[in-house]
Amino acid sequence: MTAVVVEGLQKTYGSHEVLRGIDFTVTEGEIFALLGPNGAGKTTTLEILEGFRGRDKGRVKVLGLDPGLPGDSRRLRERVGLVLQDIAVEPYLSVRETIARNAGYYRAPRDVDEVIELVGLREKRAAKVKDLSGGQKRRLDLAMGVVGDPRLLFLDEPTTGFDPSARRSAWEVVQDLRASGTTIVLTTHYMDEVQALADSVAVIADGRIVESGTPATLGGRDSAFARIRFELPPGTKVSDLPVRASTATEGALVTIEVEEPTAVLHSLTDWALRRGTTLQRLTVERPSLEDVYLEITRSFEREPSQQSVATRGHRPNRSHS
Amino acid sequence: MTALSPASTADAPNTSPEQEPDLRRGEFPGRGRVGLLIHQIRYEQLSFWRNPQAVIFTFLLPVVVVTIFGAVFGGDEKQDFFFGMSGMEYYTPTIAAVSVLGACYGQLAIVLSTRRQTGLLKRLRATPLPAWVYFVGLLVHCVLVSLVDVVLVIGVGALYGVALPTHWTALALTLVLGAASFCALGAGVASLVRSAEAAPALVQFIQFPLVFISGSYFPIHAGVLNTIAGLLPVKPFNEAMLAPFTHGGGYQWKELGVLAAWGVLGALVAVRRFRWDPRPE
Repeated sequence: MTAVVVEGLQKTYGSHEVLRGIDFTVTEGEIFALLGPNGAGKTTTLEILEGFRGRDKGRVKVLGLDPGLPGDSRRLRERVGLVLQDIAVEPYLSVRETIARNAGYYRAPRDVDEVIELVGLREKRAAKVKDLSGGQKRRLDLAMGVVGDPRLLFLDEPTTGFDPSARRSAWEVVQDLRASGTTIVLTTHYMDEVQALADSVAVIADGRIVESGTPATLGGRDSAFARIRFELPPGTKVSDLPVRASTATEGALVTIEVEEPTAVLHSLTDWALRRGTTLQRLTVERPSLEDVYLEITRSFEREPSQQSVATRGHRPNRSHS
Repeated sequence: MTALSPASTADAPNTSPEQEPDLRRGEFPGRGRVGLLIHQIRYEQLSFWRNPQAVIFTFLLPVVVVTIFGAVFGGDEKQDFFFGMSGMEYYTPTIAAVSVLGACYGQLAIVLSTRRQTGLLKRLRATPLPAWVYFVGLLVHCVLVSLVDVVLVIGVGALYGVALPTHWTALALTLVLGAASFCALGAGVASLVRSAEAAPALVQFIQFPLVFISGSYFPIHAGVLNTIAGLLPVKPFNEAMLAPFTHGGGYQWKELGVLAAWGVLGALVAVRRFRWDPRPE
């Protein structure tokens, strides 16, 4: 069952092509993360799905309805919740009043106190909105997004400006919502957030989807080379090493990329021990989601429109999927 | 799953999401459209009365002004300067009219442009609340604030010896029509203004000269000016407010007509130009 279908979505502002043919689907019940640099078209895509913007071309279905049609858009408001980037709440109402007011707009809202509990604002329920901290206002915003008991929730950079513990508790709220069956479409700039929350990911750059997959497989991450890094022991050269250091030094660290690190590590540590020295700052790691993301988006940030998107999008994918 | 179901299923509280009520017809389970409207008015009232700035400038200022005028122009001596009325017989209705202007025109223009700029309107647009409930709710809220204000201003006038209105139905009609027209003009100005910062300045830039040439703060005896002001919305409203207080005065149909015409103009601008989104395409 698909919650969102987007096919060949195009949008142009004046002469600027913001979306050049976006395709993706969101499966019901999953957390879908839409990533991409600022200006890549994330917000425009979301606003078309939310019914705030029209589209020039392409097919869009949200919960089986077309947000571009006024009748469908009106019906979607009952079933779709959203948390936008800017905080917007009436300053002089209390937390509970604010949520109760919006609950009254829906046919079958969630229980107001349950929602207050869910977003962790119980101690602040009687506080005026103007007296809340930025993070608390953001949580109130989230409460307004879910009070209508939506089947689909759009979260546009929901934890920007949160401290680490507030971010963790926001993640828990989002995971609870998924557990209760809500489909969530998320945009974020934090790759740890994607890693923690997302079931599937699409990267948008220069108005197209350039990569998609799961956080574990994005950009062939699961089959990527492991990277061994360490400090060259004093008095040794790269050519002294028992294995070919395939990469040049980066600062004082030697980097070796291998498919399977066990044997290479064995010969490296053996070499070091026989010389009576150590490999300072030794690490072995696969590329992080952030590494992969930066690699994917790097070329687009330099030359946003001249880059051949077609070849880039269809470059050989190392993933086994 | 896109199949539309007949609206008659809307009364069942636990229908599947496919069986939705037609929100345009205001079908809400266990509560009609009137209930939703009352819900909305209640929260508009809460937001207003808790906001000290709104209460002081929109609500209290006319009461303070009429109290000061009472101290300055008190006494029941009839004067030609006040068209044969006493000072307070003249100022009680005109300051009551000024309070309606503030509660409707000024309040709506500023509230709507602020809410648009902060994104509140955009967010509201994403909820199932029908737009007409939102606007009627705001209108009723403004009329309620105006009513309380007018009652207080008339009360202060009475303390200074001004007789109560003789024609209550004419006063009520004038108030409701005036409030609705100035609400429409406020919404019209909010539709034309770009940013919330510009809204208070624009509101005052329009209102301030208008109340002066319309004789709200002092009677105007210049014929040309009165002719011009008579075609603008404030002076006809003043005239229609003054009449029910004077003996024999009743419905001022010509003035009410001019007022209603301005209201229609404001409403047309608002309907054609209103934006929910702070950053439209």
